[in-house]
Parts: sequence; structure tokens; C-alpha cells
Amino acid sequence: MRSLAPHLARLNNATMAFFNGLLVLEYRMAPCRSQDWIAAVLLLACLGATPIGAAEASKPVDFTRDVLPTLQARCFSCHDEKRQESDFRLDRRDDALRGGANGVTIVPGKSGESSLIERISGADPDLRMPPKGELLSKEVVAVIRAWIDQGAVWPADTESPKPADHWSLKPLVRPPMPAAADSSSITNPIDAFILARLAESGLRPSAEADRRTLIRRVTVDLIGLPPTSAEVDAFLVDNAPDAYQRLVDRLLASPRYGERWARHWMDVVHFAETHGNDQDRPRENAWPYRDYLIRSFNDDKPYARFVAEQVAGDVLSPDDPQATVALGFLAAGPWDESSLMCIVDDTTDKKLAQVLDRDDMLTNVMSTFCSATVHCARCHNHKFDPISQADYYGLQAVFAGVDRADRSFDLDPVLHQRRRQLTQRKHDVGKLTTEQLTADVRLQAELVSLEQDFRRSRAIWTTLVPVTVTSSGEATMTPQSDGSVLFGGPRPETDTATITVETELAGITAIQLEVLPDPSLPHQGPGRHDNGNLHLSEFKLTAAPAPGGEPASVPIASAFADFNQDSWSIAAAIDGKKETAWGIYPEVGKAHAAVFVLKEPLRVTGRTRLTVVLDQLHGRGHLIGRPRLSVTTVANPESSKPLAVELAAILALSPAERTEPQKLTLARALLGWQIDNQLAGLSAPQAVYAASKDFKGGNNFHPATRPRSVHFLRRGDINQPLEEAAPGALSCVPSIESRFKLRDADDEGSRREALAHWLVDRDNVLTWRSIVNRVWHYHFDRGIVDTPNDLGHMGGPPSHPALLDWLAVEFRNGGGSLKALHRLMVTSAAYRQSSAIDPERARADGDNRLLWRMNRRRLDAETIRDAVLQASGKLDLTMGGPSARQFVESKGIHVTPNIDYQTYNVDSPGNFRRSVYRFLFRTLPDPLLESLDCPDGSQLAPVRSASMTALQALSLLDNRFIVRQSEHTAARIQTAAAAPVDQIHLLFQLVLLRDPTPAESQRWQAYAERHTLANACRMMFNTNEFVFVN
Amino acid sequence: MPTTRANACATPSRRDLFLQLGAGFGGMALAHLLGSGELQAEPFVASAPSGDLNGGLHHRAKVKRVVQLFMNGGASPMDTFDYKPRLAELHGQTFDPGGNVKLESVTGSPGFKVLKSPFEFKQHGQSGRCVSDLFPHLATCVDDLAFLMSMSSKTNVHGPASYMQNTGFVLPGFPCMGAWIGYGLGSLTDNLPTFVVMPDPRGLPYNNQGNFSAGFLPVKHQGTIIRPHLPNPIADLFPPKDAAQITPESEREGLALLAEANREHERQWPGDSRLEARIASYELAARMQLSAPEALDISRETAGTHKLYGLDEQPTEIFGRNCLIARRLLERGVRFVQVWSGASGAKDNWDNHGNIAAELPPMAQATDKPCAALVKDLKARGLFEDTLIVWTTEFGRMPFSQGTAGRDHNAGTFVSWMAGAGIKNGVAHGQSDEWGWKSLDPTWCYDLHATMLHLMGVDHTRLTYRFNGANRRLTDVHGDVIQEVLA
Repeated sequence: MRSLAPHLARLNNATMAFFNGLLVLEYRMAPCRSQDWIAAVLLLACLGATPIGAAEASKPVDFTRDVLPTLQARCFSCHDEKRQESDFRLDRRDDALRGGANGVTIVPGKSGESSLIERISGADPDLRMPPKGELLSKEVVAVIRAWIDQGAVWPADTESPKPADHWSLKPLVRPPMPAAADSSSITNPIDAFILARLAESGLRPSAEADRRTLIRRVTVDLIGLPPTSAEVDAFLVDNAPDAYQRLVDRLLASPRYGERWARHWMDVVHFAETHGNDQDRPRENAWPYRDYLIRSFNDDKPYARFVAEQVAGDVLSPDDPQATVALGFLAAGPWDESSLMCIVDDTTDKKLAQVLDRDDMLTNVMSTFCSATVHCARCHNHKFDPISQADYYGLQAVFAGVDRADRSFDLDPVLHQRRRQLTQRKHDVGKLTTEQLTADVRLQAELVSLEQDFRRSRAIWTTLVPVTVTSSGEATMTPQSDGSVLFGGPRPETDTATITVETELAGITAIQLEVLPDPSLPHQGPGRHDNGNLHLSEFKLTAAPAPGGEPASVPIASAFADFNQDSWSIAAAIDGKKETAWGIYPEVGKAHAAVFVLKEPLRVTGRTRLTVVLDQLHGRGHLIGRPRLSVTTVANPESSKPLAVELAAILALSPAERTEPQKLTLARALLGWQIDNQLAGLSAPQAVYAASKDFKGGNNFHPATRPRSVHFLRRGDINQPLEEAAPGALSCVPSIESRFKLRDADDEGSRREALAHWLVDRDNVLTWRSIVNRVWHYHFDRGIVDTPNDLGHMGGPPSHPALLDWLAVEFRNGGGSLKALHRLMVTSAAYRQSSAIDPERARADGDNRLLWRMNRRRLDAETIRDAVLQASGKLDLTMGGPSARQFVESKGIHVTPNIDYQTYNVDSPGNFRRSVYRFLFRTLPDPLLESLDCPDGSQLAPVRSASMTALQALSLLDNRFIVRQSEHTAARIQTAAAAPVDQIHLLFQLVLLRDPTPAESQRWQAYAERHTLANACRMMFNTNEFVFVN
Repeated sequence: MPTTRANACATPSRRDLFLQLGAGFGGMALAHLLGSGELQAEPFVASAPSGDLNGGLHHRAKVKRVVQLFMNGGASPMDTFDYKPRLAELHGQTFDPGGNVKLESVTGSPGFKVLKSPFEFKQHGQSGRCVSDLFPHLATCVDDLAFLMSMSSKTNVHGPASYMQNTGFVLPGFPCMGAWIGYGLGSLTDNLPTFVVMPDPRGLPYNNQGNFSAGFLPVKHQGTIIRPHLPNPIADLFPPKDAAQITPESEREGLALLAEANREHERQWPGDSRLEARIASYELAARMQLSAPEALDISRETAGTHKLYGLDEQPTEIFGRNCLIARRLLERGVRFVQVWSGASGAKDNWDNHGNIAAELPPMAQATDKPCAALVKDLKARGLFEDTLIVWTTEFGRMPFSQGTAGRDHNAGTFVSWMAGAGIKNGVAHGQSDEWGWKSLDPTWCYDLHATMLHLMGVDHTRLTYRFNGANRRLTDVHGDVIQEVLA
């Protein structure tokens, strides 16, 4: 829009011309005809009459003729397809009518309510538009005003082209193979497409690379490690015509293949093992997802299944534990613990964090599987692709029922099934009805015996009547007939109540504190605070032989309560901290109980005096109103948690006295208890950090009981919610329903299930195009579309569109075998070409977009590290399991631990594992790998850069890992060869996979002699020949 | 897009097209190394933005280098630079801004009782700026500073708020300001990193290194962390000391051996500028090994300078040393230096939840004199001609109490200040309400960043990088240059 100035000049002329009485608006770019009515308006304006009158209402404004030129001349330089100042776009009707970030609006039919008019009339110099240059003339404003009043008619053909017919959204049809000049030489269909395109540009492909280059290239590419020199030698002498095919087959069958491609996948889905914000907490259970990836690639899991499992595996294959592990995908990205767990509920910050958390999930899904930039439609319809805000919030709704948390699963499928059945039964018990209960005689009989079992298992609590009670806050204390004490009188701010009791029971295992309601207490208590709450800061117990013995402190092992107020759990009463306490709000007006389990049964003989100290130091009268103490000698008081008040009351009644609802409540409780016992009998499950709707949570982070409601947000602003969104996906993908029909909208799993089906639909053109392009990118170092996460309007154009579609159809119809796809690509002649640069062809296609040669690549971070380990002989090929923490970890000031890479012992066994098994710490990545462009998992990384920097050079020279591995490599060589000439020979073989030339041998020998073989190894790891793959 | 990728570098070497630089490396190769030659929005040649724009990219630059002083934790405005006499009047009363607005406080359950500042405020300088008595040294500099009195943030939570002030986004993975500047303008020197970060020795800030990340920009734009208090201030600058076989001679001859091997390899595979770039990177690495220790060696500074920065006194020694080193780095061509005060966690920072009167003074004392020294020293040395100082934090604090004497986070309003080239002296822009609860006219990080870039000759709307479907900017889709603070 550099041509703005001439327009301005013309506008000025026009204004001047008008005032000179020349009623021709010269500045219009469109030809001007029959504008008499405008002239009339202008004349009125000139005469001081209001330009808004009856006159123009009857004269229709033609947008294209009368309005668009002004917009083009004065507005589009900041508000069009290229730039959207204040997020306002004026070149498309929908965007223009939606308004901008500053609330600039066009309300069709109502110019008075359209703030655009205020802006362009320039009433407020700070808000005027355009901000610089002459204001729009009154006349021009009048025309725009009239246009709005007439309904802001905006003919469709004036809009920027709608990309609905964008190539990537067109139906997938297998294109015909191009006819090649010499078709007999083409054995791989890929080459037909590549050669045809080269021929169009008058280019020819390069010759096949030499065998040494070829084996190094394909080995690094498929398994992420260089070949060994023995493998190179074997390949060099294998003259069978299928030698290369067999090499490829061997590599694809290697378990190393899964490790290599899992690492690529981890880039794409931004996997790492800490939360990545200020509370960068390690995720101890993220790794099972990494192992799932490795296993899936090695098993060549059909792609559709691989995709579906990662979105809804738990729903689609509930009996396959690995399908649950797959959900690690949805949780792979960062998580804002501070905002989602630590801050108070119902704050703007928390709501925003929830939106952003789902945004990360849906972005991960749609970028990874569809290469669609849906995340661009959070604040407005997508500016370039046909993706609406409705699509976006439909996807938010899909994930409205899940959070990221540890989720249990059992590696053993039988156990996994058993646990799942029990969990399902427990869920069903909650839905038991009176009708079912009364109809089922067998169930009733079972319940009678269950109740007996239950009663037998319960602890028997012996109430202890207080001997003395004191109150530091000088409350009054009135003993009650049930063994409790009622506190009253003036209410102190804080209090420490001390109660002594005596008992002859031997082997007490736990002591129970009941806090009882009373009519004299606010809200019936059980606390004395105005709202009926209480705060027990600390509970302390001493025991002494009675009477007059020396009291000894009795250690408490654990505590549990029938109810814990949010953030005021009973654990706070035994944590030794005065600031934290147990509370019961909002469950006031009823009895509650807390049980304190002794570290070991109380061993006393004869009569014992127990002294209980109840510190209630929170202040503002958060005091216990009516406590009662009891003790038990049951062996495992943990299994005997205090009963809910209602249940205790039902149990106190005889069966005949119970009402129908009470019977139902009891039946549900007893069956639940039975299932809990069965669950407790199973061996402990494993956990994976994954999308979950059923997790423990804590603090202000809890599972959603049903999917949270998701609203459209005006401009993406959490404070401007609009209507509720319904689960769905992209409406632009042809011939698949994008608004989901769900079995049960309240079942969040059905939402993800619907999305999974949508993603892997045969007709989802994005899914199939996306994956073949992504795989191509990794093989050729550049995708057919060079933006693997964006096949949209703003993504790169496909260099070989027909080939892309052919591959997509082939892959889909062939069952989605990635290994078959790899085989197809790496056996093509295009892949096997030399990477040498020919100046002549480089002039025609310097970027090698048409693949007249193979691309040379710098090794990625992990491959460099793993190749060094392979050369030194230290590489440990153990697969799977918890990640190797290649750093020293100590407790940090807050949640985030301190991580130190500098003092880590580089000879620790974990340091020799393949790099894919490293523990990935988001905010403190490994400095060596980071310098080599390893992404930190904060953002999706569909493409890695391959930089060359001074700091990277320093890392490869000086990093302790490299230095130490150089020493190991030297030691390995020295063990194998004694003569310097042989040692250098071996060094070349280990690192460069070739023999040195005589001159090289001499130079490196001389250096090793002067400065040690270890230094020679270190320099060798720094050579371009090692760091690049031809 | 192609220019972000390794492959794009594999075009035939165009060394003849560029000036021969350094030890004979092509301009393309140097461009790879110096963090330039990859800008997407505009055609951009080698490492030098246009000379007639004084180094600017889109218009004439006034600033060539920046030092940012970041007070980690949320420095309280009403106890430092935003005097609120109304709080003294309302002290102890329940805070009521009227209109039945819901009061939110993210980390606790406060009583919402108004808390006056425990510190005295006085007017200073010609401009008459009110400064609390915690900053006696900065108080003498107010006529050189331009205050932004109504900064606002989107969030009351440290992590996202720190990301926002550093990167313009509340999420991880976006490039920070120093990375954007390196990407846009390249470096001023071959011998030192373009973007340097000095964390508080007591620990990294919230988000650790996430705040200094290059995000999706190439890794070369990452902040280089310098920890002057450690024996090895820059990781991997030198080999580990326990590797006895590594000597100056082994390195000199080793690099020669390496260069020879690499040149031979390049002759075999001609036309790939990346091979050249890697050779050049080892030359630059060697230069950095020479330059960095000299830049960090403050023993070369006079006793007077040491005293000016407070290096002779315990409370100011650490932050003072980092400020002095910042000045030495700027002098030697580092473009962007970020100096942090405060670690993450419950103490040793500006996150004064518990007791403002007890927790804020040590932080102020540790930084007041060094900050003032930096202003005075840069001015005295003429560096103010092309250097910008920015003092900032991630959010402010509440006008009411948390517990009885502390303050909770407040994104509503806080203070930053700027000084140096292109800045109008002694002005204040924006204001908060009578309690210091919310801004009356918010200034966002977008505006501050737009202004900083503007001073460096960069139109913030045109410094873009295409990533995952969007043309990303430091200023997202926002940002207005704050004209009121420009000279």
C-alpha cells in the first residue's frame, strides 16, 4: 500500500474541487457515472444543510461504486487481508460487520449506532480514522452513512476471494500418473511425478548417490543413528539387485525406527515432562505416552487407529490399556498450574486459563492431524481460511469435560478390564433406583449380609467422658450427657481447648474428634464462627499413666475426616503449622468427625490419662462449639473412615424403621463399599499423565462433573461471553458432518469419540493430505507443502500437488501403513539422488523445490548425541520406562525443582540412553541439545531449524558430555589398536565411516600425538562431515 | 517461510555478492551467524540495517541498545512511585470502589481492608515526581526518567504475567523482546552475544528460562545467560577445567585441524553456504572466548565507578555488579541486556504478600543505588545518546491488605519507567485511579514494546515471523507507540 500518498493527494484535490463548485469526485478509482444524487447531497452540505436527509434515503448507494473506492484509498492500508490494525478488517463484509478490537462497529440500517461514523467523521482527534492525513470529507462520510442506513449492502463479488475452494479442501481423487518420456526406467510412481515436473522446467535429476552416502542417509533418516562401519562394509559389497530394498526393510524392522519417529512426533505434539510455567512441576507419569508412540510406530499401527486413540482411545477401546495411554497426546503441552490449580475459583484469571488450556488441546489436535490453523479463529473468524468462530468454539466444547492429570491404567489388559468393570459398576450403583431395589429379591438378601459384613468391619468407638476441660480463651464449658462439652460465653478470637479423658483400653489405635451441632451455636454450629464454621489449627495428644504420671507425646501418623473444606483439609491439623487448619464450611449445621491414627498402638498398662490439645488459632472466632472424643482399638482404623451423617443415622435404625429412600441410600453405600474393597484388592495401577475426567485434583483444581459450558467469546474476551457452543469440528471439510450428533451430550467421552470419527473419516481430506506431507517433510527435509502444520490459504503452496494427492489416496486406501509409506518414499530415485549442487541447475531452482538433487541436512540434536554415544561404544539401547534425568535435581524454592546440568555426573548410566529417553524439562532444557535446535515443548514444532552459531560451536567443543565422550571414544580406540596409524584409521571409521586419506592420516596422527587422541576425537565430532548428512 | 529453514541456506554461495568480511567468510555465512538475513517481512540484506536510518529497519533509529531492569514478583506501585494519599485516609476500612464491582484477589482470602503505604513520599526534581523514601538515589534522577504510571496486565498470575511482559503473550513458547530485537536488527558486534540475560544469583525468575526464550524464532536469538558470580559465568564458553588434555595449544591447533578438514570437505561439496557458516562459527566462537572475559572483568573499572554502583556495600553489591557489567556489555556492542532482581518463590523478590513494610525495603535498597548509577553512568559516558533503559515488573499490587500487612497481585495498574535516547525527560504518562487499584487509561506491554521498537527504528507491526498459520508479532495485534514519552 505504498500508493497511499497519491490517493491522499487526489482526495485533497477532490475536496478542493468540491469547494470550487466542481461536483466531480476525481479521487474515485472507479469510473464515476450518474451520481447526481450524491451531488445533491454535497450541494446540501455546501449550503449548510444536514447531509443526512430524505434525499439520500431514496437514492440507493452502490457499494462497489460509491463506498469501496474510499475504503480502498483510505482504509485498506491498515485494515485488509495483509494488515488488521486493532484487529479490524474492512475488506470482507463479515469481518467488517464484526467490528474491531476497539469496538468499531457497523450496524446495518443504523448509522447512528455505528461507531465507524464517529471515527471517520473525526469528532475525537485521538480516535479519528484514518489517523493521519486529511479527514474524510463530510460528503464522503455522508455517503458511507447513507450506505449503512440502507442496510450496508455488500455484494459478494467485491470480497476477497473466499478460500472455500482452496486446494487442500477439494475432494481427494487419485490423480493419473504423468506419462514420462522414458516410462520404462520408472519403477517408483513418485518418480513419475517428480520427473514430469522437472521436465516441465527443463531440468533433469541428479545421479544416484554413492553407496556409502546412501546407507548413511537412509539409516540416519529411518532410525536416527548412523550405520556402523561393519554395516557400511556389508552394504558396499552386497551386489544383489535388492540390496537397498533389504537395507530399508532391515531398518524399518529395527526397534530404533520407532524411537526415531516417536521423537519426530514428540516435536509435532509439543511433548515435554514438566508444566512449563512458573510452577514448572515435573510430570512423573508422562513417559508412558512416549513408550506408546514408540510401540505404535514399531508395530506399524494403522494411522486411523493411531489418530483415533490419541483423541478418544479410552472411549473407543476401553479394554485396551494402551488406548488410554494414547491420551497422553491431549495432555502433552504446557499447563498453567498457578492459574488452574492455585488461584481462587470463579476469577477471570481462572476462566481465561481454562479457555487457553482447551485452546492448547484443540490446537494440538487440529494442527497435528489436519494441518489446520483453527487456533486463528479464537477471536474472530479465520482471516484466510473458511474456519469460523463457531468451528473453533465447537472444538473447545469437545474438550470441555477433560483436564490434564495423572490417569490410572493397568499395563496388564486383564487387570485393566477388571478395574474398569468395577469402576463402571460403582458408577452404576449410583444410579440404582427404588424400583430396581424392590424388584430384586436376590439383591436384598445380598444387602442383608453385606450390612453384617460392613458392621463387623467398622471400628467400635468408645466415647470418653472428659475429666477436665480448659479454654485459654476463657470460654464457658458445659458438659453434656452424651459425653460432649458445649462451649459458650463471650467468643474469643482464638482458643486452645485442652480436654483430658481417662481410659483403661489397651492398644488404642486411633482417637476420634466429633464436632457436634447445637441449637446454641450460629447456624447450629458445629463451629462458633458466624457462619457455623470452625478451624482446627493443630491437634496434639499426650498420654500419661493415671493418676499423676509423666505425660508423653503420642505421635499421630495420619488423619482423615468425613468432610474437608476446600483448601482446609484435616491434614492441616497435624502438619505442625499454625497457619493451616481443618474446616468444614459450607457443610454447617451437622455433625462432623475427624479420626487421628496413632503411629503405633498406645502401649500402656492400667488406667491412662489422655490429654487432647485443640489449637484453634485462625482467629475471628473460628472455634469448635461442641467436641466429643472417642477411641478405638481396631487394627486398621484407616479402613473405617467416619460415616456420612446421613448414613450413620440410617444404620442406627432397625431395617423395619427405614424409609424407602433410606433403604436406597444404604444399598448404594453398601454396594459402593463392597466395590471399593474389591478395587483395593487389585494391585496398584500405573499412571499416565493424560486427558482425564476422573482424577484426584487438589486445591482449586477438580474434575468437571459434567462438561463445562463453553460459550462463544466476543473477540476472544473471557468477559464477553455470547451463546453456548455445541461440540463440533470444521465445517469447511466437504461431505462430513461437522456438528456432532451425540448419544449423550453430558458424556464428555462421546464428544471426543465424535471428533475421533470425524478426524479419521475416509473423506477427511485434511487428515490424509496432512500425514503424507509430514512424512515427506522428514524424508526430504522439506514438505511438498513446506508448512506441515498449515495446508491453508497462508501455508506454502504444494510444489507437487498431484503427487501429494496421489500419496494421500495411496496411503489411505492401503490401510494407513506408515512403514509402507516410508518404503515408497525412500526407495524412490528422487530420494536416492546425490545431494551435490550443480551450479547450472541451481540457477534455475536454487531452492531445490523441484528436487533435482537430494537435500543435504545437518544432523538434529538427538542424532548428534546418539551418534557420539555409538562411536564411543557407550550407547545403551535399553528401551522404555521412566525418563533418564540427565541433571542434578534438588528441591527448589517453590514447586519448580532446581535443575543443574553443570554438576551432573556425565558418566551416570542414564546419560548413555538414547536421547529420546531424556527427561524433558520445559523451562530448563538441556543446554547442549538446545544449542542444536531441539525444541523445548512449549510450542508445536512441525519443523526444526538447523542453525549454526558460535554458541553451538562452543557447546560442541566444550560441553562436558562431548569432552567426556571424546575420552571414552579414545579409550575404545586405544583398546582396539596400538599403532597411531591404526588408531586414526579406526577414529575415521567410527565417526566418518570411511578410511582417512594418507594426508589426513598424517595430520590427525600428528595432532593426536601432540594433544592426545581424546582431543582428536573431540575435533572429529566437530567436523562438517560428521555433522551433515549428504 | 523458506528463509527460516536450513534448506534455504543451501543455495549456491553468493559470496561474491557480499562484502568480504572477517577471515574471508562470505556475507551470507556471516548473516547466518549474526542473526540476520532471515527477516521475512522486509527484504533485508546481510547484517546491517540501513545506514541512513542509523541502524533502523523502517525509520531512523534513536536507540541502538537496550538495558532492561526487571523487578521479578510484581513491584508495588503505591509503595514506590505511585503516591496514593487516599489510602492513608481510608486505611483499615473495607475497600469499596463503588458500583458493586466484584473484588477479585487471586491467591488468598483477604479482608479487603485498605492498606496505606508504610513509606513516606516526597516530590523530587524539576518535574516534582513523587517517590517513596525507599528510593533516595533514583529520586535524584527523576528528571531523566519518563514514568509509565498506568501499566496494565491481562493476568494476576506470575507465570502468564511474566510471559506477557517479556513476550507479549500469556502462554509459553513465544519469543521475548530481546530475541525479537536480535531477529530484527541483528548484532552490533561479532565478539559477544546479541542478547544477554543476567538472572538474580539467588535464582531464576518465574518461568525460569522461559522468559528469555527465542520461542519459535531460531535458537540463535535465545538470551545468553551470564552469571558473573560463578567461576564459569557463561556455560561452555571454556572447556571443563578437569579435562587436563585440553590446553590453549590443543585448542589452537585443534581448531586449525578442524578448519582444514572442513575446508577440504567444502571443496568436495561446493556451493553450500551452510558449510561455510559452520566454519565461520568456530572463528566467532574463538573471538567470543577472548572478548567475553574482558567484558566481564570489572577490576578494570575505577574505585569511583565501583562505589557509584554500590559494589563496596553488601546490600547493593550483587545487583550493582550486574548493572556495571550490563554497561560494559552495552559499550561493547551487546544489543539487549536484561538484568533481573528477584528469584521466583516466596522470598527474595518483589512478591510481597506477607508484609510490605518488611519485605519491600531490602529489594528497594538492593536496586535503588545501582539503577541510579546506571542512569548517571550511561549519561556521563555519552551512552545515553543511543541507549535505552527500561525498568519494569510483571504486575502491581492491591491497595488492600492480604493478611494484615502484605499485598496480593494486581494486574490492574503498575509502574514502569524509561530513560535514555529518544525519551522525554521528567514526564509521566497515564494515571491510576485514586487507590492505585486500576488504570484509568491502561498502557499495555504492547505499547511499551511498540515504543521500544519504535525507538530502535522498527515499526512493530512490520516485524513479523510466520509461525503455525499466523504472522506473529511481539505486539500481537495491539500496540500504540507512546508518543507522550518520546523526546
